[in-house]
Amino acid sequence: MSRQRQIVVTGIGALSAIGNSPEQMLSALMDRRSGVGPIEHLLTAHHEFPCGEVKLTNEQMVNLLGLPAEGAYTRTFLIGALALRQAVGMAGLKPEELPKCGFINGTTVGGMDKSELYYTDFRTTLDHREYIATHDCGACSDMIAEQAGRFAFVTTLSTACSSAANAIILGANMIEAGECDMVVAGGSECITKYHLNGFNTLKILDTEQCRPFDRDRAGINLGEGAAFIVIETAESAARRGATPLCALSGWGNACDAFHQTATSPEGEGAYLAMRKALEMSGLNPADIAYVNAHGTGTINNDETEAVALSRIFSQSSQQSHPWISSTKSYTGHTTSASGSIESVICILAMQHGFVPASLGLSNPIADGQLSFAPTEVLRQPLNHVMCNSFGFGGNDSSLIFSKTASEVSEVSEASEPSDIFIEAAEQISCQAPLSEEWMTEPATPAVPYQRSTDPNFRDFFPPLVARKMGRLIKRAVVTSLRAIEHSGIAMPEAIVTGTGLGCVENTEAFLTALTDHGEELLQPTQFMQSTHNTIGSMIAIHTGNHGYNATYSQKSASMESALLDAYEQMRLGAIDSALVGAHDEVTPTYYTLLEKTGYVGAEGQTPCCEASVSIMLGREEKGSLCRLDSVRMAHRPTKEDLFAIVSQSVPDVVMLGLNGNEANDRPYADILCLLGDVSIPAAQYKSVFGECYSASGLGLYALAHCLDRGIVPAHMSLTGKEITGIKSALLINHSDGLNFTFVKLSK
Amino acid sequence: MDNLVKELKEEIIKVLNLEDITPEDIDETAPLFGEGLGLDSIDALELIVMLEKNYGIKLEDPAKGKEIFQSINVMADYVANNRKK
Repeated sequence: MSRQRQIVVTGIGALSAIGNSPEQMLSALMDRRSGVGPIEHLLTAHHEFPCGEVKLTNEQMVNLLGLPAEGAYTRTFLIGALALRQAVGMAGLKPEELPKCGFINGTTVGGMDKSELYYTDFRTTLDHREYIATHDCGACSDMIAEQAGRFAFVTTLSTACSSAANAIILGANMIEAGECDMVVAGGSECITKYHLNGFNTLKILDTEQCRPFDRDRAGINLGEGAAFIVIETAESAARRGATPLCALSGWGNACDAFHQTATSPEGEGAYLAMRKALEMSGLNPADIAYVNAHGTGTINNDETEAVALSRIFSQSSQQSHPWISSTKSYTGHTTSASGSIESVICILAMQHGFVPASLGLSNPIADGQLSFAPTEVLRQPLNHVMCNSFGFGGNDSSLIFSKTASEVSEVSEASEPSDIFIEAAEQISCQAPLSEEWMTEPATPAVPYQRSTDPNFRDFFPPLVARKMGRLIKRAVVTSLRAIEHSGIAMPEAIVTGTGLGCVENTEAFLTALTDHGEELLQPTQFMQSTHNTIGSMIAIHTGNHGYNATYSQKSASMESALLDAYEQMRLGAIDSALVGAHDEVTPTYYTLLEKTGYVGAEGQTPCCEASVSIMLGREEKGSLCRLDSVRMAHRPTKEDLFAIVSQSVPDVVMLGLNGNEANDRPYADILCLLGDVSIPAAQYKSVFGECYSASGLGLYALAHCLDRGIVPAHMSLTGKEITGIKSALLINHSDGLNFTFVKLSK
Repeated sequence: MDNLVKELKEEIIKVLNLEDITPEDIDETAPLFGEGLGLDSIDALELIVMLEKNYGIKLEDPAKGKEIFQSINVMADYVANNRKK
């Protein structure tokens, strides 16, 4: 992909175990001071594992933020809100500029710190139910965003330990595509008992300070923190009078497609991510002066990352090798926030001309092949640095920052976007699976909730292959395989997945065992399947797909977030096909929790259902279902904003997410009122498919098939009469009155 | 011993979600990892948890699992000699 625009960094904000600001972190790095130590804040039995905690209590953070003492605050939110405030402050972003700026957070833990504390209450009483709603990753991002104000759009990446890096990549792609000029991106994550125990089931936690890339390394120290960076076009920075700290010159995302928790022996995903980032930046490996490696300190990661680094940097023609270090021995592994915390460290290293020392490294692996930074701080100018972040499931990403913005060879206005088509769309839901029977003979979902009607999974894979897949993963793989097959595209270039909560069944099993039986005898399989990105990575593993892979968890806007990502990359010409998915499941316990939040179960509301949808995007009009014209997200649009968006070009039909709950339906009614003069036929899909975080995936799926046939069946039309001759349509969705989304399709 | 062998097979099928496999399908002398059932390192960790839960056997070093999980017969021997419950 050739670069269109120069992207600069104009603000950074960070909190981690080595400081509550970038300045404090800088002095710890210069003094070689680790923040890893005995656990002080987390309530756990596992005091044998040192961790890198942020040195602030929740109460202190509430005070620093000036929040009312009483409120439903999760630790991930508090740390994130402080980091965001710093980044926005340094960039000099004024409140009135934020509506033009996107906010992209990366988190996997979300509000789990409170969920694990109150899970017994959640299940048996109404106490602490306000924390049920703060559990979701997307809710966490919404709360952080609210502290700053009104953004252009808000979304959440959840690709485990590469979440923050992927948040920065989405931001960069949005800017490249000319969708916006400014984005604040990064990640936030607090330590929880849940993932401390989860990593412990995998036997990859070190009881001493971690020693990345050392022959005697024995695992991870968990850390926590948050960091956000403000990225914008060079023109935007100049216009605002903001001083660029450095440039973001390249980024790459690839999938290892090997195993849910292990990395491939040749480090393929890591290699591909670094190679893509280098190609985009136009730099040679020899130009990179420093690599902030993922370097978790586990036997597996460091060994295979070293292999991948050698493949990139140890070519015989090269004159010099970059210094490599992992700063996780300072901060601990800050999981979803690591990509942005380490980006901030890279930026500080470049600004101040030093190589962060390899703390604790005495006997490096791959000796002679790679140049690990010494245990002393080296003072030297750094012009180009690379930052690696790899996640479970092989979600591997690499970023390159440069001291000055290199000339983009041909800075041109983004060329007219090539057309994008929905080539195929498949579903497993409460309706007949993998069929369009719902158009003529819809099944009636049971009240109050209805699980999906599954196909016979044995028709798709043998039991030995299926045994590592939960129900939701099986559905996701089956709908994906079918959509790929029907699209005529052998291998999609990207797999982008939306899921509000991922494999709830596994999360629930692990959380129940943790709450009811304590911090012992927990099962690794339940833990590893509870990360949201396990769905997308299992699709990649099953289809051998090493392309771009990302997962979004933004409540009801998860599907649209995934679609937006794929759409922008296709507009940029970076890819020509993508598999976009939306997958969520419901369990009996989870249903009762959802009911306590008021999200489902209101009188007259459509039942809660499960959804698995896979949609193939491509460039081929022939045989496609419809054209994908545009995807837009709006964080907190005013009535004027909404009118401007929906009246831009009036479609033949609007497809709405009505569900019979007054609070949910009012915004749709308001939009119809705004369009009062033009009276557009309106239709709904939740009456057929039910309500869940991925419901709008079924809305998109249904609308694509309606457009293909030119009709909306009578049972979906608001007037009860079939709508015929439709050539264009608009899918409108919102998430609790926030994050409005608009997907335009045409025939 | 025969009972323990059968019990272990049933537990393995349950813990590792080996649908469609019956205890009779598992050869008690064949290696559990590598060829055959296609078990991986996570499965080994699951079996370690199972040993502790069911028999009170605590394996601090996951590498030790490799020796014990050579075959059902080896596993049964180890359990018989080391079980705490």
